[in-house]
Formats: sequence, structure tokens, C-alpha cells
Amino acid sequence: MYEHIQTEMSIYDKLNILSDAAKYDVACTSSGVERRGDGSGMGNCRKAGICHSFSADGRCISLLKILFTNECIFDCKYCVNRSSNDVVRTSFTPDEVCTLTMQFYRRNYIEGLFLSSGVMKSPDYTMELLYATLYRLRNVYNFQGYIHVKAIPGADQRLIRMTGYLADRMSVNIELPTAEGLRQLAPHKTRKNILTPMKLVQEQTKENRYEIAVRKNSPRFVPAGQSTQMIIGATPETDFQILNVAESLYDKFELKRVFYSAFVPVNDEIALPAVKRKGPPLLREHRLYQADWLLRFYQFRASELLDEHNPNFNVFLDPKCCWALKHLEVFPIEVNRAEYHMLLRVPGIGCKSASRIVKARRMGNLDFQDLKRMGVVLKRAVYFITCQGKMMYKIKIDEDYITRNLLNTKERLPEGADGMTYRQLSLFDDMNFGVNDAFETVSGKKATI
Amino acid sequence: MKRIYVCHDTLTGIYSALHDAWVESRNDDAGIRFRGKIQQQFFCDYLIVDENEVKAAKIERLIKRHLGYNAYWAVYHALLSDEERKAEAVFHIMQEARRIQDSHKIMDHLGDENVALVFELSRRVSNESHMYEEFIRFRELQNGVLVSEISPRTQVLTCIAEHFADRFPLENWMIFDRTHREALLHKAKEPCRILLDAYPDSEMLGKLSDDEKRYEILWKGFFKSVSIRERENPKLQQTHLPIRYRDMMPEFSGE
Ligand code: SF4
Repeated sequence: MYEHIQTEMSIYDKLNILSDAAKYDVACTSSGVERRGDGSGMGNCRKAGICHSFSADGRCISLLKILFTNECIFDCKYCVNRSSNDVVRTSFTPDEVCTLTMQFYRRNYIEGLFLSSGVMKSPDYTMELLYATLYRLRNVYNFQGYIHVKAIPGADQRLIRMTGYLADRMSVNIELPTAEGLRQLAPHKTRKNILTPMKLVQEQTKENRYEIAVRKNSPRFVPAGQSTQMIIGATPETDFQILNVAESLYDKFELKRVFYSAFVPVNDEIALPAVKRKGPPLLREHRLYQADWLLRFYQFRASELLDEHNPNFNVFLDPKCCWALKHLEVFPIEVNRAEYHMLLRVPGIGCKSASRIVKARRMGNLDFQDLKRMGVVLKRAVYFITCQGKMMYKIKIDEDYITRNLLNTKERLPEGADGMTYRQLSLFDDMNFGVNDAFETVSGKKATI
Repeated sequence: MKRIYVCHDTLTGIYSALHDAWVESRNDDAGIRFRGKIQQQFFCDYLIVDENEVKAAKIERLIKRHLGYNAYWAVYHALLSDEERKAEAVFHIMQEARRIQDSHKIMDHLGDENVALVFELSRRVSNESHMYEEFIRFRELQNGVLVSEISPRTQVLTCIAEHFADRFPLENWMIFDRTHREALLHKAKEPCRILLDAYPDSEMLGKLSDDEKRYEILWKGFFKSVSIRERENPKLQQTHLPIRYRDMMPEFSGE
């Protein structure tokens, strides 16, 4: 069956090639499932996930992230492995993947395996190889650590289902925010092809919940849920479009996570923006993660954060601050009475501090000192709240005034994304709110229009 | 005169001191100091504690019963920290717990400086334990045993034992704590043991298996190739992975 898989290349070279080709997949979390070992093999899982190292780009390394093969019959324009590229091709054997995983795991290098793959011969053929690998890892090597596996679009449903019973998380990448983008850049993929396995995983998960309710120790189907990834900045979508896509993925497919991957050009391709000079749009990616967080934990809707007239995030202020500034009519709110979901909307109040407030105010009225102790960032929150009817200082509820003050309290951006802000600030010293233009330049959008 | 109880900086030592202090001085201001770290002061009575497991077990039971399990774990972790005032702080929160209405809520009284300290210390220890669960690296010896050497600031071994025992039940492994000269030993299919006064045998540790070098090289190669060059960001890397953990990690050796 594996007749044409190369065997001459050393495992070192294979690992180099097949991890290098997998690195643009940004999902590396090992979270979402808590599982103790059963004593018969090796491994367990922790709900919060565990990072084992951090690579030079500052990203967490949690899983052995590799492709099974970088051979591919498809020709996606943004991908190094596309069939029209002249690169060295190689494949692992299932046993090589198992040995690497086990040996890395027992040295505490990794939390488990993230197995993705190019499409070799056909989607079915590839999926079968992934299944064979996971089967071996679980049942021959008795590995009980974390496994994240890709479902190959277009592969036989039965194969995907069987694989899902061996994995902790499964993902199908949506790749680009719109069907149009997909048509242009990934001619062999269709929206439908991608959404079908997603739906399948969702439905099987529901059925599995039922199986488990009936028989407590039935096998678990992707217990850590499914995720997906979108490439940001390769096609001209606005942040609003992207966020809407994410929202409907959460709503309709019950995804655990949507990951955003700032576009890094790997091919010389006319259809793609030339963002090489400026580097990947990291600040944009960061803003999307912030907004994504608001969707998942703060009960925001995409349409509240952006709209057709303001389709992109602000470079200078995070999405929550922007929302608050546009809705000054609802502020200030009284901390001792406001509902939980309103507390969540105050800049400077997070999920943790909001629930602490709700608990603590049952015992008595809270003042600003109490809020500080509960982790509220007063620097930001003061403009939007009262304690027992009083604001902390005399404050004009005025958009310009508050905006100026919020801009003065420096936002904590991740390193890198931060450096970028400075660059932009020097480029666009005009501090009024016409930053959308500025933004388009950063995101590489201008380049394609 | 103020009584100062003097004990070893070990759990048995500290619990024994707490026991004596509780029996004799629970209504007074008393101190607990560690052997070898005392600066003698006037007007203090220095008492060398007779340390034993019976006393320790008694006081542990007392803490569980009167302060509750939450506080017990906070105390346990705090006592593993590298803070000189840790034992005294625990003694004082035990006294404080008698003064408040519901002694099980003692850890909520963060306004009290001793409670705040115990809380801070227990967090310090569990955070460091977590770091070691992430960053510990094992190397395989010729006899197949997996070995790790660490230099933690706090005594993390008992906090990480359960995690690794559950993860590697069929392996023989050991972790040496160079700072505190203790070792955690795990024989396949057996519970973990702590060895005090443990000195790693450097000759034995030098005998790495043939595979070991190979996998270190493979891992280093992987570590390099997963990084995206266009996003390189050493500062971000350093906030997540402080330099002091790196000397045990093969991916940072030889740089
Ligand atoms: S299917 Fe497309 S994205 Fe996936 S490996 Fe092949 S060319 Fe790359």
C-alpha cells in the first residue's frame, strides 16, 4: 500500500521538511480534554493544555506538528506544497510518526501529535493513511496523550468518522473567508467540500453525546471539539466579513475555536499581495483574536463591533473600547446594580472581575478600591462606571475627551504587534479616526485592489 | 520573652515547630526560624524543636479540620516556598483563624498581611510547579531510565510527582532537584518516592543511551523548522520562556 513512499531519505530530513511545511497552521493548543492515563501505556491530557516550549517567533510549541506527506495533487496558490511548486517531496510511514511521537513525548518535549497532510493520490487515500497512523499510535503504542488530526476535505465520511474516534480534536481549515477567495486561490477546493466534513464532525459529536449518556464508557468522538483556521490578508476581505464568517462558524458548526493566521507569502504569486516588505499583518491578526474573544466569552455579536460603514478594526483602540465609545448613551453604569452582561461590556472589566463583582456585591456595596482589588483596570473603566452613584473623578461623557484619554493609557499589545503600532503612529501622525485607510495598507489589502 | 522555635526547613520540621508553637504559645507572639539562618536577637528564647512525623501529622489534621482543605493546600504549597517568613506566616494565620467567625474562610481575608503572604507563596509554588511540568526534559540513560535535573527556587518535586506518575506509569524515571538536594524516584508501576539528601551520580548520568543524542538532534531540528522567520520575536519568546529554564532544554543548548 505504501509502495511509493520514499524510504531513502533520513528521518532527520523528513522531519525537517514535513514540520517546515506544517508550521503555517497556527493551531497548536492541546486544550479541551481532561484524561488520566489508565496505567497501560503512556500519556494523559490536561484540560487547559500544556505548552512545552516556545519557538523563536514566540509561538507556543505544544504538539509535534507535522504533515504526513507534502505531496499534493492540489494547487492552492498560498501554499508551499502546491503541486506546481518544485520542492522536495517526502512522506512519513505511520510507524515513523508513532515512534517520533512516543520518543518526543517520553522526554516531555511535547503534549501530543498534530497530524496534517497534503493530499496524496486522493483524499480517501490520504485519510486512510492518517487513520492507519492514529490507529497504530493508540492501539499498538497505547498512546493516551493529545492528538489533533486534520480531516481531508472530500474524503470518505466513514473514514473521517473512524479517525475522529481516535483523535481529541479534528479540524478542517476554512482557509479563506469567502467562497470567492477560495475559488481564486484554491481552485481544487470548494466551500461545500470544506463544510461537509465540518458538518459531519458536528453531527457525530452530537450523536456521541447521546452514546455517552446511554453507555458511560463508550468511546469519545473528538472530545476536545473541532477548530478551523482562516488566512488573513491574502484576499481583500474586510475585518467585518471575516468576523461574520467566524461568528457563523461558531453558531452553525459549534466550533471550539477559529484561528486566524496572518498571511505569510511563501510563493511568488501574482494573485497574492506582496506583503513581504511590511511583514505579516500581525496587528490585524491580534485585533481579530480580541474580537473573537468578545464573541466567545463576552456575548458580543459581530454586527455590534463592525458594520459596512466601519468594516475594519481600529489600529489604535481595541474592539471593546471602540464599541463603548460608540455607545456612550448607555454609560455610565452603576457597578452595584448592573447586570452581568453589561459589566462585561465595560472596558477594563473582564470575565473574571465581572463575576467577582457580582458575587461580592451581595455582601455589600462596592467602591472603587474594591474594584481595583478585584482586578478591574480602573484606568480604562473609570469613564464608564459609577460606584454608589458617583464617578471616580469628574468626567465629561464626551467621545473625543474619553478617546484621547484612552489613547493615553497604553494598551498592552503582544510584543511585535506593539512594535507595529509605533511604526504606524509615525507613519500616520494624524490622530483622527480616519485610520481605516492606514489599516488597509498594513493588512496588505491595498496591494490587491 | 518571645519564643522562637528553631527547626529544619523541611515539611516535617516546620510542621513539628508549628505543633510546638501551637501547644505552648498559641496565645502569644512567637516566631519560627530555620536552622543555619538565624540572626540572634536579645530578649528571645530560642527553642530547638524535636522534629517527628507524629507531631507533623497531628498539626496537619488540625489545619485540615479547622482551616479547611483549601487553606490546607495553600499552607502546604506556601511551606514549600523559598521565603524565610513562611512558617511564621502560617502560625499567624492559624491564630487569626481563631479570631474570625468562620475559620474555614480564612483564606478570603486577604486584607490580613499573613494571609496575603501565604496566598502569594502558594501561588508562587504552584506557578513554578506548572513551569516544570511544561519545561522539564528527560534524557534516556543506557539502562533505559529517564533522568532530569532541575534547579527550582521552591520545592516543587511533590507537586509535580502525580502529574508525571500518571503520564509515564510504565517508565523508570527520576528527577533531581539540585537546589534542595532531593530526588523524585519512580519505578515502573509503583508509586513515586522522594529521596532526601540525594546527590546525582554524575558518572551514571553521563551514560546516555545511543538513541538519546539522536532524538535530541531531531528535536532541535524540529524546534528550528517550526518557527516562522517572518514573525521572529525573541522578546515574546522570552516572556513566555524565561532564560533560567533553558539550560535543561536541549533545544537551547549549543547556541
Ligand atoms: S491541499 Fe492546498 S493547502 Fe493543502 S497541502 Fe495541498 S496545496 Fe497545500
